[in-house]
Amino acid sequence: MTHLPMTSSPTALDAGEADQSVKAVNRRAFLMQTAAITAAAAAGAAAFPAAASASSWSGKAPKFGSDAYVKPRPEAIADPTELTVAEAAWMIKNGKLKPVDLVEAYLARITAYDSVYQAFNTVLGAEALAAAKAVARKKPTSPLHGIPLAIKDNYWTKGVRTTANSYLFQDFVPPYDATAVARLKSAGAIVIGKTQMGPLATTRATTPDGRITTVNAWTPNNASTDPGGSSTGTATSVASRMAASGTGTQTGGSITAPSNAQNLTGLKPTMGRVSLAGIIPLSYTRDHPGPLARDAKDAAIMLTAMAGEDSADPRTQGLPPLPDLVAAATPSFSKGRCRTRKKIRVGVLPGYASNTTRQAFLSTLDGIDNISLVDVPLPDQWDLLTGNDFNNVRLPERSEPFMPYLRSDLRGFGVSVTGWLQGALLGANEFITGQRAKLLLLERVLDQVFAKCDVVVQTSPVPFDILGLPEIGFPIGFSAAGVPIGTILGGAPYEEDTLLSVVGAYQAVTDWHWKRPADPAVPAATARALKTTDDRGRLSADDVLDQMQ
Amino acid sequence: MAVTPPTDAELNTMIRARLASLGIDLDQLPAGTTADPVTGSPGRDSVLASLRSFVRSSVTNLASFQMPAPAGSDPAHAAALSQQPAPMLYPSISTEWRR
Repeated sequence: MTHLPMTSSPTALDAGEADQSVKAVNRRAFLMQTAAITAAAAAGAAAFPAAASASSWSGKAPKFGSDAYVKPRPEAIADPTELTVAEAAWMIKNGKLKPVDLVEAYLARITAYDSVYQAFNTVLGAEALAAAKAVARKKPTSPLHGIPLAIKDNYWTKGVRTTANSYLFQDFVPPYDATAVARLKSAGAIVIGKTQMGPLATTRATTPDGRITTVNAWTPNNASTDPGGSSTGTATSVASRMAASGTGTQTGGSITAPSNAQNLTGLKPTMGRVSLAGIIPLSYTRDHPGPLARDAKDAAIMLTAMAGEDSADPRTQGLPPLPDLVAAATPSFSKGRCRTRKKIRVGVLPGYASNTTRQAFLSTLDGIDNISLVDVPLPDQWDLLTGNDFNNVRLPERSEPFMPYLRSDLRGFGVSVTGWLQGALLGANEFITGQRAKLLLLERVLDQVFAKCDVVVQTSPVPFDILGLPEIGFPIGFSAAGVPIGTILGGAPYEEDTLLSVVGAYQAVTDWHWKRPADPAVPAATARALKTTDDRGRLSADDVLDQMQ
Repeated sequence: MAVTPPTDAELNTMIRARLASLGIDLDQLPAGTTADPVTGSPGRDSVLASLRSFVRSSVTNLASFQMPAPAGSDPAHAAALSQQPAPMLYPSISTEWRR
């Protein structure tokens, strides 16, 4: 924790001004501290203290079938960071790869490249190596055994600073792990670091005062390319092979958008599938924890580990059981033709097939056995009920739990403060009207869309974020400039397995998800500074309002 | 009778009073339209302008939205609107216990 030296106490200031002065010094220290952590991460793992690994969650570890272990592609064996989770799991289970070697390979890439990417705000090098040695002494019982993961910095991690990239949490060290983190650890996963994110999960990753930090792994020299927000750091770390997979949260597209932007497969589950206990909230009816992964099977493995009932979060209780997601993501082949395990109707909304990439995607889907395309309408009043005004119904959910901070430290919200003030202004009448409208919208989606199809293409993640319905983002091509293009499918409540079936089959007949970005050139000055000194631009408060989740 | 839309000055008073009633003092933010150089927080005049726009758009539009009358009721009777379905914080979760 940073303290203001007593000798600098400004006696000429009144109490309020002195308080602002203290906060200003602490905030400068936070930015410097964050930079120092990045620098130390690049300098080597030994710079990081080990942290305790106990958690408050003590449920049963998930069970996985043989589909979760995949013999690696020959080209992936030479570099362990190229392995998917399922491939690395096969290697570890068969004694061909040690968790320590896998962790070291990832740490080497972090050391080499994160000065450019700036995907992490904390790297747990020493702890990850210690955890890898510990799991190596146990028999693998899960495909996540010994797998290094990147954890978004709004997930509590016991003994490890958790900032949500905000001044408000700059010194916060949680007493226990978020349930989702505890579940992943119980499955044998290793937390390799905490990732950069938009301040309080509002936008792409920036410092709390709006300065852009993290770049899209596909355009490391062009910070203006959208890396997707706010799970930016997780996306960049997984895309650049600095972590095998990772976690994000989605309130307004922050799993599917960075996945689309960086050639990943991101799965936002139905509200309640994954516990929100121990995750710093943005909007409590809209925050969805989920994985960002390299393909559908890895996303299935991650969500299987993360999902389940939690006594600390009633939203997780009384839900349908989790189906076998890994099996769902594993298509079958008959006479050389790929097929999903059940018949699935893919709904196509008006206007979706507006470009050749989407047309090619739909054509490929149509060629997979058991998948059929069907035109579906936009539900009545779709634009109104999913538009900006009804989307803004979420805002009181972010102001209410932060009232103590709003009363005492408005500047602590940095560039993001206006959204919190908007939430405090919205009246209870309008909030209730918004909740009624959510049910009206859901009924129309179920009656007018899902009566005709099983999954439906999306042109924006927001409508299904409003409703708490599952979505999956995945790659379908590249732009002429070499930037990934993705798309989103949405599902009915608790139909994550159907989404994974479609994407698993699509990825069995395409290779977009196998493509990786080239390693960035690291200028000598950047390497010496251990962190780029480039000015990558800055978001203003107005920019944040336009872009916030 | 149509209600006269509030002026900027009236909205400023309303916004400040509403926030003050919650214990939030906008004067924590820098004066004028210049952002705080340390935190990036916007100036209070910029915030007030943004909040006025928010009230005139989202608050007003949400308040004016009329839910459709429940099936089987006469939409001409405002009384029917009192029988609207209950609001749902978690519509997707509610499908499981509304089967």
